[in-house]
Amino acid sequence: MSKRTALIFGHNKYADEIISNVKKTYSNIRIFSLEDIDADSSYKVEKFDLSDEWKGIGEDINIEESIAFCVLEDMAENIFLTISLRSNFVDLAIIAVALNRESANKLSMAGANKVIPLVETTADIITNMLEKPISSKILNNILYEESSLKIAQIKIDTESKLDNHKLASIDWTRYHGVLILSLIHEDMKSEFIYSKKMKEYVIQSGDILVVVGYEDDISEFEKIIGSKRYVNWSHWRR
Amino acid sequence: MLKNIVVNIAYYLDTSSTYQKRKRFYYDILENDKNKYKKFIDIFMSVLILISVAVLIREVKYNVDDYLLFFSNYIVSFFFLIEYLLRLWVNSSVSKIIVKRAEYDSFLLRDVRLSKALKEVFLVKIHYMLSPQAIVDLLAIMPFFHQLRVLRIFILFRVFKLFRYTKSIQIITSILATKKFEFLTLAMFASVVIFISSVLIYVMEANQPNSQINTLYKAVYWAIVTISTVGYGDITPVSNEGRFVAMLVISAGVAVLAFTTSLFVSAFTEKLDEIKEIKTVEGIAKLKKLYLICGYSDVASTVAKKLSKAGNKIIVLDKSESRVAEAVKDGFVALAYDPGSVESYKKINVNLDKQVRSILCLSEDDVENVYTALTIRSRSKSVEILSLLINDKNRKKLEFAGINKIVYPQELVGLITKELVGVPVAFEVIHELRSEYANVKIDELGITQRIVDNFATVSELDNKNYRIVLLGIYKTSKERFYFNPMDDTILEVGDYLLVVGYSMFIREFEKYLHTRVRSE
Repeated sequence: MSKRTALIFGHNKYADEIISNVKKTYSNIRIFSLEDIDADSSYKVEKFDLSDEWKGIGEDINIEESIAFCVLEDMAENIFLTISLRSNFVDLAIIAVALNRESANKLSMAGANKVIPLVETTADIITNMLEKPISSKILNNILYEESSLKIAQIKIDTESKLDNHKLASIDWTRYHGVLILSLIHEDMKSEFIYSKKMKEYVIQSGDILVVVGYEDDISEFEKIIGSKRYVNWSHWRR
Repeated sequence: MLKNIVVNIAYYLDTSSTYQKRKRFYYDILENDKNKYKKFIDIFMSVLILISVAVLIREVKYNVDDYLLFFSNYIVSFFFLIEYLLRLWVNSSVSKIIVKRAEYDSFLLRDVRLSKALKEVFLVKIHYMLSPQAIVDLLAIMPFFHQLRVLRIFILFRVFKLFRYTKSIQIITSILATKKFEFLTLAMFASVVIFISSVLIYVMEANQPNSQINTLYKAVYWAIVTISTVGYGDITPVSNEGRFVAMLVISAGVAVLAFTTSLFVSAFTEKLDEIKEIKTVEGIAKLKKLYLICGYSDVASTVAKKLSKAGNKIIVLDKSESRVAEAVKDGFVALAYDPGSVESYKKINVNLDKQVRSILCLSEDDVENVYTALTIRSRSKSVEILSLLINDKNRKKLEFAGINKIVYPQELVGLITKELVGVPVAFEVIHELRSEYANVKIDELGITQRIVDNFATVSELDNKNYRIVLLGIYKTSKERFYFNPMDDTILEVGDYLLVVGYSMFIREFEKYLHTRVRSE
């Protein structure tokens, strides 16, 4: 019942890529397709209809713990699907892919928590590759590739050593091999570590640190400050 | 003996690089529109022409200073003579013709027939000398013999020389030349009408006692004045028959005039796009460090906007007229040329190795992108090509076509989702860093010799004072990125610092790196 489930709507290249990237995090993956199902897929594909009321799904899985990916190639259908999911499941995290320029805005209006604007993102990647080749390579490594350099978000707990410390009093750049880029308040506003506001800021429990470092160093850092890596979707709630 | 000497000289000149270089130089400043000095030669020559015409006009009624006359008659003519001879020289290569003949004859194991070669040389040069432009050039020198009064009028031939020096006049002539047949028909029609009407009016009016049209010359003059709808009215038919002829001529005149006007208009409207294209291409040849975008897709238009915002020059090529129109509307230099055709690159006349930073194949079709890439590779081995990949199956083909960087949007979706479900907050932070609108940015700073001279190691950089996070250093020599480098890491020329900070502070930091002098 409470299994973390990834619901993927659309059975195409995008879906394949998403499956291969999220299967580690989500043990249960369900794929829904508008078309007739071909048998040779390694995953079970269920057929759905845009007029579905999704009664069955709500009973099967824990919506709070699940995530839905809307990757239908027809943008009108994708938007309709997003609206239909949102109207049925208020708490479902929905990620939608926008294949053209106009639909990104419409998808977020339709209730997607996160829209991946494909045209915009691809253009960003290309521009960065051309204009800032080195930083783009390094960031890509950090973000996407299987390198030992990682980016992580660490939440400060009440038991954490850093709790109630003044942010500026700690030499962050030399702190056990990790670099701290920014701090995110509980209201989900992110602040760059060297910004003016941060000078006098006292770390509170609930703050999240965004750090870059080697995998081992990050684990070490977690142990020392007594907090742990943390993922939640609360900032995506509407 | 003499023959041998001539052949030897020809061989020497043909292989001498200084001679060829010099000849090339004169050719470029006289004939090559792309040469940057040609403009000045053209302006100089045009000024000479205008001065001599001004002197001619002044001379009609007033006394002109002797020096000025001397200048107009001798100095200007002298310049034109030199120009004429230079053009005659660079227009074809005598040495080449002789060498070719000599090679040909020695290949057939017989004596070199110099006479044949010289005949060929003579023909080539005469052919040039008889071209209209060369004749005008020659006549423009004539005022040198200004004692002959008639020859003075040849100064006006110098005005014709202006054609050579002004590109727009050349364009107009070439446009009108496309309507040769129509203009010829018009000329035939007009001359037939003029001939008939002048004979008719002569027959009707010549014997009228009070008519002024009493010679054939006057009849022709009247016919032309009337048919052109100018109608001075200085001589008019007086008899009823004569007036009837006038009515016919006037009706015909309206037709001739309408025909002429429409011819000019249609010739220009048809060629208008072509003229614009010529202008655009001329502009491209002057650009440097440009991005060439092949295929104006959604992604392409977004990339183009981002790149041009960062101050880059962009040229768009696309087969489809409508997409080109869109690119032009977005404010880019765009041409409706097929990016998959070698001809297009010849037409835009861009040196791919020297002028182009990167070529982006952003068509939403792998076949087109591969085709374009191969076409480009056939012209340049080294220019950087980036391409979109639409179907993963074709990745190998793109690599084989010589594309340096491949961007596969579908894979991006997968990778992004992975980060989104893993570290959503951190992802947003990185995403923010990359976005051009954010205050906090990631940037790369190149290490120059000057920086190395004044900053030995990372610890001296003092980046924290500038509120900048030093993410790491990229060692070009080792092609490796050192994250969070140790204090004693040595800086080398060619390295890059990867920094994160407020863009304002990054600028300040960069200035500091370039201006600080180490205090001993």
